[in-house]
Amino acid sequence: MNLELQKGSRSKTLAAILFITMAVFVGRLFYLQIIQHDYYVGVANQEQIKRLAIPAKRGLIYALDGQTPVPLVMNQTVYTVFADPKTTTDDTKIIDTIRKIAGGNACPDLQALLNKKDSRYQVLATRITRSQADKIKQENLNGVGFQEESQRVYPEGSLAAQTLGFVDFSGVGRYGVEDKLNDELTGTDGLLQSVTDVRDVPLTIGNNNINRPAVNGKNVVLSIDRNVQSHVEQALSDGLKRTGATRGSAIVMDPQTGQIMAMANLPTYDPAKFNLVSDVAAFNNAVVSAPYEPGSDVKTLTMATGIDKGVVTPDATYNNTDYIKVDDRTITNATLGQTGEITFQHALNWSLNTGFVTVAERLGDGKSITRGARDTMYDYFYNRFHLGQLTGVEVAGETAGTVVSPTTSEGNAVRYSNMAFGQGLDATMVQVASAFGSIVNGGKYYKPTVIAGVVDASGKYIANKITQPSMQIAKSTADQVRSMTHVARDTFFASLDRPGYYIGGKTGTSQVIKNGVYSSDETVGTYLGYGGSEDLSRYVIMIQVSGDNKLLQGARDALPIFTDISNWMLNYLEIQPKG
Amino acid sequence: MFSESAQFSEVTSVRRHRPDYLIVLYMGLLMLLGLVIMYAIGPQRANVLNNAYGSNYGDTYFFGKQVVSLLFSLAAFAAIASIPYNLVTKNAGKILLFALGACALLAIAGWAHLGIAQQSLGATRWFNLGPLGSLQPAELLKFAILVFVAGFLGVKVKQGKLNDVNETLIPLAVLTAISMLFIVVIQKDLGTGVSLMTIIMTMLIVGGINKRIGGIILMTIIAVGTVMIISAPHRLDRIVTFFKGDDTSSSDAGSYHIEQAKVAIGTGGLFGVGVGNSIQSTGYLPEATNDSVFAIMGETFGFVGLVTILILFGALLMRLLKIMDHLIDVRLKLIVAGVFGWLGSHVILNVASMIGIFPLTGITLPLLSFGGTSMLFITAALGLVFQLSHYTVNSLNLKEAQHENFSGRRGLGRSRHASRGSFTRG
Repeated sequence: MNLELQKGSRSKTLAAILFITMAVFVGRLFYLQIIQHDYYVGVANQEQIKRLAIPAKRGLIYALDGQTPVPLVMNQTVYTVFADPKTTTDDTKIIDTIRKIAGGNACPDLQALLNKKDSRYQVLATRITRSQADKIKQENLNGVGFQEESQRVYPEGSLAAQTLGFVDFSGVGRYGVEDKLNDELTGTDGLLQSVTDVRDVPLTIGNNNINRPAVNGKNVVLSIDRNVQSHVEQALSDGLKRTGATRGSAIVMDPQTGQIMAMANLPTYDPAKFNLVSDVAAFNNAVVSAPYEPGSDVKTLTMATGIDKGVVTPDATYNNTDYIKVDDRTITNATLGQTGEITFQHALNWSLNTGFVTVAERLGDGKSITRGARDTMYDYFYNRFHLGQLTGVEVAGETAGTVVSPTTSEGNAVRYSNMAFGQGLDATMVQVASAFGSIVNGGKYYKPTVIAGVVDASGKYIANKITQPSMQIAKSTADQVRSMTHVARDTFFASLDRPGYYIGGKTGTSQVIKNGVYSSDETVGTYLGYGGSEDLSRYVIMIQVSGDNKLLQGARDALPIFTDISNWMLNYLEIQPKG
Repeated sequence: MFSESAQFSEVTSVRRHRPDYLIVLYMGLLMLLGLVIMYAIGPQRANVLNNAYGSNYGDTYFFGKQVVSLLFSLAAFAAIASIPYNLVTKNAGKILLFALGACALLAIAGWAHLGIAQQSLGATRWFNLGPLGSLQPAELLKFAILVFVAGFLGVKVKQGKLNDVNETLIPLAVLTAISMLFIVVIQKDLGTGVSLMTIIMTMLIVGGINKRIGGIILMTIIAVGTVMIISAPHRLDRIVTFFKGDDTSSSDAGSYHIEQAKVAIGTGGLFGVGVGNSIQSTGYLPEATNDSVFAIMGETFGFVGLVTILILFGALLMRLLKIMDHLIDVRLKLIVAGVFGWLGSHVILNVASMIGIFPLTGITLPLLSFGGTSMLFITAALGLVFQLSHYTVNSLNLKEAQHENFSGRRGLGRSRHASRGSFTRG
């Protein structure tokens, strides 16, 4: 008999194998479970925890109808129809159904798309409505699926298009309020994070589950009044037809709040079809984004500066010779013949450049536009009337313009003599209209705004508080200049206005700089005015018309558009005539 | 050559004494742990299967079925532990013929696509017994081989012919080849095949095979095994997967299985995520209740839990070795050796593949895995060992007993030397 067996040495061999194996196992387990624990927890989390974004609804954009918000931009769920050509069975039926129901939203050559049998995803129709999608679903087409997405719809069509902007196909606001207030409108997507089983069904195990609801975007109410906006767009369009101008812009503001009631630019576009626009210039809201030389409209601001500093009054006089020398330059009046000792009111009526260069000189030593005069003008134009700086209006693409400071060599006497009658500085219409608003309301500068408030989740309109204005010029100064523009308008155009109201304004005809020199074959016509009762101006309207190689004048081309809107506004705002 | 049907007729006359209850204790603890896991992940498993195959298992289906399996297994344990072992050993040849017949029948039924042969994972391994569940004849074959080969080799050992090529090794090789034909080639079950080989090899080692022949046998097994692996793509995949190591980017089924097993074990950490918090069992880890139960236990009970399980298995296996060392009749020794090989091969192969240090073999973890047949026969085998533990002798008396046994004075007063339970308490 084998002695080895009796001693059990072979069982010791087996025991040894067992021990060694178990030791290896325990070592390996220690490695996996203790040393590598964090690594495997990471791997596990990666595959076990699923995250699902709950899309936030983009906020709606409302306009006002009087005091009531009405939607200008809404959301609509639309569907993309796609096919998995590998699993489709009845291609003919699919093509017929999609063509019949989706119509123009169907992609061209569906047969070719369905013939791509290797592909798993072909879009057959885009942006169809829910009812269209339901009809297609009823056909139970094999291999056809639907994707839901949200799209902006515009119940008022292209109304206020450049103020609104649009939302691109990736859901980001472009231009206008959609861009400027993109974050507020977008809201915050919610997050659903959960440990799931292998089929992505959420489990209630562990502490890693998160359910954060989406925060929908804010519903914004614009201060744009849909009726005013609509009329302004119509009046502007009519004006362009009448004058032959190809471009026109208009802004209507409430001088008592800074709220913009209408902002229009032509040509415009349809935000629902933004992808079909070939000239992106149509997207820009020129009122805030296109600085230009405002021309004679600025004379009101020069006058206000002079009166506020006490160097001139409306009835003060100067000797008009139809030209005036500043350093080596001679400045000439556009209208000649009003020579002699005339009042500044007269100079404003006839828009005589010499009068306002004289005001600038009187801000200095009376003979020349000294550094002191230039500092004063800069202080008023830039600091008080906010020309050449961003107003912060809630429309994307605002441009600051330029008011050259007297501290630079560019800011010399010649430059400032030009600025006195509106040349040599760039400003946007919203800047000029806001500045003018601070004159017609008695000296208070309101920051211009297109936002009136919000509509909360329950549909209630909550109006914003009016921002506190800043007092920029003395009320008496403001009232005198307001009166001067009333007189200026009344002198020539009193018959245009409805009786019993207090209307004023200033024409402007600005030359256009082409290749660095003032062009003789293109001018921009503007009109800047206000209206209401004598006690209270209710609106400021600014009109601008232009066109390539077109000589457009403030009085002839822009003023009638103002008059159209102004008379309509008196009626719309139900202002009682005096007497 | 297999004529020694009455191999076990010479019953050792050691007086029956108190058995080794520690076997029952370790076995019971392991079974309980398995039951806890079935209770914890049964609902997830049912959910996974319901979704994957449209079946309609209830939340307690797996727990309930495991309870039934355990009851059957305990009954089998009790039965085999009480039926005098010589009744089993005497009929070893008949049991073997029956088992081989069952395998042959399954092969024919599978070939003929009869409903009784249950096809799964590309192989026919189970008899479908309708409401009674399913039966895996390979497990019966293991049991049959265990008792038959133990008897056969035991006689050869007594005759000193263990290393005799013509009388011992060739007949054994023929029997092994037939079994392997059924299990590995027809049923495509390499895991059970390896387990069967281990049972036979353990018996040869304990029986005292000489090192040269043992080496030759081992080389032969490795050579044949290599051929088996190369000839079957799914096995080769597993090997390739294994040697690719921690390559999580690999997406084939085998590496996915091992990777998910490691994720389950790794996330368990020191103490585990706790009962009912296993996420890997919700469909990430394949075979969560069956072959992968060790990984799920790792996730649930952590390092501490798995080491405890390994200690329990180790203790149980050590019990087997001790009983083996204290049995006098070499044929009984070989039975225990075979059970050691059986249990040991299952535990080692299963755990090694779950922790990623050995290729995936697809073998159950005894006493813990869900699955009736495997549990039934391994508990039956343990029942047999438990009965044999009645007949161990004190180590002091071992030599004398051995001597007396071989001196042919069987049946004479040896029992007086067997102080009851003196060893089993140690």
